[in-house]
Amino acid sequence: MIIRYRTNKLFVIIGLCLLLFFEGSSAQALELTAQVDSGGFFDLQLEHVLFLLIVGFIGGLVSGFMGSDGTFLLTPAMMSMGVPAITAVASNMCHKFPRALVGFLKRTKSGQVDIKLGLVMGIFASAGVLYGASVQTEIRQVFGDVASNLYVSIAFIVLLLVVGGYALYDALKTYQLDSGTKKHHVTKLARWVYSINIPGTMMRFPSIDSKVSVLFIIPIGFFAGLLAATIAVSGFIGITAMIYVLGVPGLIASATGLLIVFIIGLGGTIIYAIDGFLDIRLAMILLAGSAFGVQLGTVGTTYVKDFMIKFVMGATMILVLLNRAFKVPVYLSDMGKIEPLSERAIAILDYASFVMLLLALGIGLVLIIYAIIKGYIRYVTQRILAEEQRVFQAITVEEELYPTIITQLSPTGRFERILVVSDKSKSSAYAEREAIKLAQRTDGILSAMSVVVTNPEHESLARELIEQENRDVLTHLETFKNKAIKAGISCETSVRHGIQVYQEIVNEAIKNQTDVIVMGRRGYTGLKRVMMGSNTAKVIGYAKCNILIVPPMALIEGRKILVAVDGSRHGDIAAHAAAQMAKYFHAPVLLVSVVYSEMKKSRHAETVEIIKRVESFMNKEGVSVEVEILGGKPAQAIIEVANNKGVDLIVVGSHGRTGLDKMLMGSVSDRVIGHAECAVLVAKG
Amino acid sequence: MEKNTGAMIQTVSLGLFSLVLYFLLYYFNEPILDLSKQGGWYFIVFIAIAFLFSLVHGAFASHFWDFLGVKAKSVKG
Repeated sequence: MIIRYRTNKLFVIIGLCLLLFFEGSSAQALELTAQVDSGGFFDLQLEHVLFLLIVGFIGGLVSGFMGSDGTFLLTPAMMSMGVPAITAVASNMCHKFPRALVGFLKRTKSGQVDIKLGLVMGIFASAGVLYGASVQTEIRQVFGDVASNLYVSIAFIVLLLVVGGYALYDALKTYQLDSGTKKHHVTKLARWVYSINIPGTMMRFPSIDSKVSVLFIIPIGFFAGLLAATIAVSGFIGITAMIYVLGVPGLIASATGLLIVFIIGLGGTIIYAIDGFLDIRLAMILLAGSAFGVQLGTVGTTYVKDFMIKFVMGATMILVLLNRAFKVPVYLSDMGKIEPLSERAIAILDYASFVMLLLALGIGLVLIIYAIIKGYIRYVTQRILAEEQRVFQAITVEEELYPTIITQLSPTGRFERILVVSDKSKSSAYAEREAIKLAQRTDGILSAMSVVVTNPEHESLARELIEQENRDVLTHLETFKNKAIKAGISCETSVRHGIQVYQEIVNEAIKNQTDVIVMGRRGYTGLKRVMMGSNTAKVIGYAKCNILIVPPMALIEGRKILVAVDGSRHGDIAAHAAAQMAKYFHAPVLLVSVVYSEMKKSRHAETVEIIKRVESFMNKEGVSVEVEILGGKPAQAIIEVANNKGVDLIVVGSHGRTGLDKMLMGSVSDRVIGHAECAVLVAKG
Repeated sequence: MEKNTGAMIQTVSLGLFSLVLYFLLYYFNEPILDLSKQGGWYFIVFIAIAFLFSLVHGAFASHFWDFLGVKAKSVKG
């Protein structure tokens, strides 16, 4: 109830801000029309820059929210400012193609792009761009800017009527069905396309695993390019046609669409720039706002329901359509194709057109921000409820097991909450296995997590990719969860998104109050082995809890636990953790301390004292201890003795050095982790 | 704390870099406009500008949202 009240209040505040925005903007509506020189470039004033920043932000927000190609707002917005259609189209195309390239490269690495199909379609799309741009240029040169504006406006009206109308219909349908799961199925049309065999034109594409006549791809590519050169929007056609006509799965179509958007965008930008129609200032100001908007929109889609996205898409499209429709009589009048309109009529139509644009921008902004905030509050509420339930369960378990070691109050050496990091790799499979075993030994609470490296800047042109990646990772985690349940361990799973993997792992550990993070280690060799994976090193540096690193083939069976101490508090923490592990695994402990060869005489007596102190602690804890003082380089000595004595777990303390400190001073723990053949527990206090 | 400082330094550095780029665009506004009007092979300059701005400013925006904690929803299983 409180949440509902808060969201409603928020909605009212956003609405009031919007009204103020309208009030100010409407008053200046006609003043925003800029002075344009003969080349179509205008004298940018501060108000134009601010308007472009706002338009860029909201346009980007809508674009990121809808995925594929939602930049349809930007061209009409620039035209409403008085920018000639051809310059508006060129600037719109220019501001987004680098983003498409970055997204495409990332998706290629993940194997989600059908490069062959993308290139073939891209070639024909380039032909479409070339043709579309020549038509635009021709119209402008022969009939002037007004005719060019009319041509672009009519193209917008037709496209937005079809796509916007369908989006609203689809939103209603999805709302009634409460959006079911989306499964890929090849359409009847696509099956018919596969059945047509035209000799000499057939090509096999990996994404559909079938031969398709290039004659079907030519019109799709060409039309997508033509549309892009006309209104700077192509994704609707290209991606939709790939799915419905060619039967390409949605995810691959979206990823391949990035390649096509890049080719079209680059081609269009080059053609218009060569002809002197590109205003790079406009493009970069749009980028300044849209980069923020598009990323917020992309992230926002993960919090809202599907029908809402389609509704926003449909509503904004119809308003943009009206924005263009009100201008058509003005253009026709200017061209002398209809009875000349009075100045008052022109002013009213201009004003109505501008208000439609503001409404489109405002509704897009309010609906999206409202949907995101509402979705976020719902998500946080659910998370808090789940957390409360989990804490309650944990307390119940602890009371049942009292007075076991689990109920100890000090977090040092506690292994009650275990977090395993899984990334579908072979190396993480070993960590998963050992995490289940550890949870069995300690009666611990197990949770598994994966991090999807998500940079909204890369995903913004194809938001479906985030959803698919989520589904893939969740499927993997579900398999792990089932394995854990079979082993008698309950398990929770979570998928986090972020730019920095280590940061997400550390944050999840903090959120879960994790006692130990279990991670795999890749079988690196040479320098890489010494350096380890940077994520592992950073997790060790930044995590506040223990970290168990499991290299390939390592098994913790409780044969022997080696603990290295040096008299520091970090060494004592390691000893404490080792004692607890020894109890869980009923394993003997090999207590070692290393004395550098050149300092042997002065340090030996001191080391004996340190060892005696820790040995006495272990004895009190009822752990069987064997003691050894080693010489030489610490990491090398520890690994050698571990290999010789059949140790299956090394416990070391961590000084928690990060950044420059670590680079300059190095870390024994890092070297041990990098070279050890058995699992290594980095104990933290 | 350390983590936040690192992320903040990265975000601020990218923001400053982006700001410098936009200042240069403003400062050289007129020569750039002249090149735009001339068209032809100068398109290479615009492609380079588009890539540079997009990479720097895009990275800044993503670090900015990430730093504020605006990120895709975590999915619980």
